[in-house]
Amino acid sequence: MTKNIVLEVKNLKKKFGPPAEEFVAIEDISFSLEEGDILGFLGPNGAGKSTTIYCVLGLIDPDFGEINIFGKSIKKNRSEILKQMNYASAEFTLPWNLTLRECLSVFGRFYEVKELKKRITELLELFEMSHLKDKPIRDLSFGQRARGNLCKALLNKPKLLLLDEPMASMDPDVVDKGIKLIKQIQQEEKMSILYTSHNMWEIEEVASNVVFINHGKIIASGTPLELTKQVLKSGASEPNLREVFIQLSRTKEDSSEPN
Amino acid sequence: MNLTRVSAILLRHYFLSLRQLERFFDVIISPVLMIMLWGFLTKYVQGLQTETLAAFLLGGMILWLIFEKVGTDIGVNFMFDIWDRNLINVLSTPITFLEYLTALIIVSLVKLSLSFFMISLIAAVFYNFQITSLGFGLALFGLNLFLFATAFGIFNIALVLRFGHSIGPLTWIIPFLVQPFAAVFYPVSVLPIFFQNIAHIIPISYVFEGMRQVIKDGQFNTDFFWTALVLNIIYLTLSISFFAFILRRILKSGRLVKVV
Repeated sequence: MTKNIVLEVKNLKKKFGPPAEEFVAIEDISFSLEEGDILGFLGPNGAGKSTTIYCVLGLIDPDFGEINIFGKSIKKNRSEILKQMNYASAEFTLPWNLTLRECLSVFGRFYEVKELKKRITELLELFEMSHLKDKPIRDLSFGQRARGNLCKALLNKPKLLLLDEPMASMDPDVVDKGIKLIKQIQQEEKMSILYTSHNMWEIEEVASNVVFINHGKIIASGTPLELTKQVLKSGASEPNLREVFIQLSRTKEDSSEPN
Repeated sequence: MNLTRVSAILLRHYFLSLRQLERFFDVIISPVLMIMLWGFLTKYVQGLQTETLAAFLLGGMILWLIFEKVGTDIGVNFMFDIWDRNLINVLSTPITFLEYLTALIIVSLVKLSLSFFMISLIAAVFYNFQITSLGFGLALFGLNLFLFATAFGIFNIALVLRFGHSIGPLTWIIPFLVQPFAAVFYPVSVLPIFFQNIAHIIPISYVFEGMRQVIKDGQFNTDFFWTALVLNIIYLTLSISFFAFILRRILKSGRLVKVV
């Protein structure tokens, strides 16, 4: 049975800077994400992952290409589409001086979440943060803030979730719990997730498919196991994305070929 | 004491000053404007009756507060999301820029209402000055002050979006740039001709002139009101157009996600 395409990125291109100092952030990227799938979006620093995510969120205008979400163009239907999406990145924090519960109440209103109090209680319990609900964000640890971000990202039960290194700076135990929770919620809600991380174990755990980009181009894609076999040229029975990452990151731009 | 380490801090501030426009305002522009303001005021008060002068000054101060609070608060409320590194979280929600700006304006209006109530009460109780003696004119003065402050606030946000958060402190400095020319504490006629020309294109100068006329003669000058309103519509249109232009540019250049 064919699944619905939730996110479709077609021939995306983006350059920054004046012509003399032009920097190509995205040379030509096309990929799609099906309903209920988790797509690992990998690449070294500066590869174009975050730029792509910002284009998907409508926070950067691409120079060329199309981004369709739920079959509609993000450029023309941004607000309507974002109601069914959410985003979390450890790079951005919730309002520093508000308590966790206050933050979630504010963001819940952005998404017009029904029965908001109940939803906040559910999420705080799920992420084992109920005891922290009245603490200001500034008093939370890095890991707790990242979990708070995930609560925010799940407030509206999004159909499409963009996670840009959501578990950065969390300890392995918390990452493990976080991943299990994300997978559980993703399966229950049939959520589609675009997931970036530099922790390859995290991606192996969650992603059904992986797209690897470097220098603004897709240089490999497939399931984690397919990618391992293809890039490492071995008959591996287990995925090894760490080795794949190292090998692909060190591939020179001119020798890389789109898969 | 290690003077090398002390000099390291001095060097850091020297480097920052070279790049940060607001430091230039702090060091030079702001003191110059301050001395101009009080210089013109001194010139004006010579020969005025104490009672009238007190009413002009207190009335001017209270009405100035409407402009200053709203003009700075819109920008400062925006800066809170940048200082908290929360702006991208907010902008990745379904909220539109129009909704976001509207909310910032409402927040500043609520804060203004509280401040206005407090200072009006204090002026009435301790200084025997009733701002309500301006009658219905007070609401019309308030409207023009609010509109110009809103135009200012939107312009401030556009500047921060374009030049980054380091320019943020300008959001509470810029309103004071117009103060000497806005005839807050003295009439436009006190100013030299060149400055009078500037005052004539500042809508709130008509508000303060109008306020003094009401206090002095009990007459509300409708010409002043309409002139200020037309100028405000022009400034609001320019400010919103500038904001829209900057927004298009930063969406294209990717600067929006770097403002944080």
